[in-house]
Parts: sequence; C-alpha cells; structure tokens
Amino acid sequence: MNMVYGQHYKEMIMGEFKGTAASGDLSVALSNDELHILINLVEQLLELLGERNFTHHYQSDDPFAQLMAATLGNIQSPIEQPDDPVLRRLLPNGYADPESAAEFRKYTEGSLRTLKQKHLLYLREQLVFPVDHELPKADILITDPTQWLIAINDLRIALAVRLEIDEDGYKKYELMSDSDPQKHLHAVYYWLGGIQENLISHL
Amino acid sequence: MSSQTQVEETLDLSKFFDNLWVTIVWDDPVNLMNYVTYVFIKLFGFSKEKAHELMMQVHTDGKAVVSSGTREEMERAVQQLHEHGLWATLQRDDHGRV
Repeated sequence: MNMVYGQHYKEMIMGEFKGTAASGDLSVALSNDELHILINLVEQLLELLGERNFTHHYQSDDPFAQLMAATLGNIQSPIEQPDDPVLRRLLPNGYADPESAAEFRKYTEGSLRTLKQKHLLYLREQLVFPVDHELPKADILITDPTQWLIAINDLRIALAVRLEIDEDGYKKYELMSDSDPQKHLHAVYYWLGGIQENLISHL
Repeated sequence: MSSQTQVEETLDLSKFFDNLWVTIVWDDPVNLMNYVTYVFIKLFGFSKEKAHELMMQVHTDGKAVVSSGTREEMERAVQQLHEHGLWATLQRDDHGRV
C-alpha cells in the first residue's frame, strides 16, 4: 500500500478543493492543462476497457440478461484472464485456484467492466472546460465523490502498471533525470494520488 | 452431556464451517492507505478504528481477512472490492475447521 509520500508530496499541487460533500458543493479547481491530461487518461482507459466487452451492446441490470450475454459471448469455454497487464490488474482473479477463477470471471467480468466504464464516463462528463477561457482554472463540481475516487484510482492503477511503479516508486521518481520523457507521466501519477488523498480528506 | 449429543454437535459444527468462506484483501503498491480505509468503511460498515486496523494489517502482513460468510456473500464482496480497485480473493475458511 502507498504511504503518504512525505514533505515533497505536500509541496506538489494537489488540487484546490472548495465546499463540502455534505452540502453538495464540493469542487476542485483544475487548470486547462490538468483537464487535458485527465480527459486524455480517462478516454484512453475507456478505450482499453471497451475491448472484449460482450455487454457493450446490450447493457442490462437484469441478472438473467447478464447471464445470457455472458453465455452467448462465450459458448465454448470459460474466459481467460486478459492479456494486457493493466486489464489483469483492473479485472483481477476472484480465486487463487485457476478453475474457480475462470468460472467466476465468466459471470462477473462483463459487469465489472461495465461498472468501471460507468465511473470513468461519469468523471469524463464532469471534466468541462470553463466557458471563460481567461480563467486560469475551472471549478469542477464533485457531485459523486465515490465515483470520482474509483475512477481516479483506476487511472492511477493503469499508470502504475504501465510505469512499473512499486513501493519505492517515489524515491525512483525523485532520482529521475528531468530529461527522461517518462518523468512527466510519473509526475501525473503522483499528482492524481494527491487529488485522491485530498478528496478523501474532504469527505 | 450424553455421547449422542456430543456427536451431533461435532457434526453440526463441521457442516457450519464447511459453509464458511472468507474474503481476503491483498497488499498492492498503488492503493492509498486512506482510500483503503475509506473503502472498508463504505463496503463493510466498519468503524474508522476497525477499518484502519484492517488496512494496517493488509499493509504490514500483505493481506487481511475482511469479511466472512457464505460463498455467495463473499463473491459479492470480492466483486465490490474489485469495483473499487482493491485486490481481493475469496476462499474456504480453513482456520475454522474442526
């Protein structure tokens, strides 16, 4: 699990929050650049999650319809774990035993993908550029903090898998050369962690 | 207590424990400590202290049992934990065996 990253972490810009969740006016101020980064990440992850999604064309809350979709989408065999390491982490096995894991995945992976897409789509809809372009930052309203947290967390998981961030990630980030093209992506990862941490403290 | 009663109790207990499953949350390098605590409170209704204690157990031991019940209940819990981005699995509760 990730510890608070220490003093340096506090010095990073972590989003300026206003209002409270209880009064329904909680918001975070994001610059145009920050909005661009966030929108880009959300759309990329939505695209990745859209692959092999057999409930994509027929979404329903009805368990029988879901079972039918899962069965029709996969008549012969249980579903294998996804190949992409990001999807493997976002849609993990529910059992250590491979046989039970495959059976569990057969009936649950479709709805898990749908839920993750739903949270990311919610976040995408919230990320609106300010009408007044002269404004340095836009106040983005956080109407559903839980969906925000889940979506931001999934973005952090996806980045961490791609960047191979482990427990010593922050130390490695600090030692990275400014000319390293990956350094910016690491910075985005820690920035998102700051927003997430800060958002929870406002709930 | 008659020996007959003794046998029946043992049988009942073993049947009970066979039906007991647990949900385990595993440590990972991404999830923030306060987020994991938040998820435990939200999904399982734990007090802040209990949620923090379990979160610390995941962090220091690498895993913690966060819930127990029927297989169906634990499958539901695992699905919810996965929705929230936590790494969780379910298994039969071996510690409860008589």
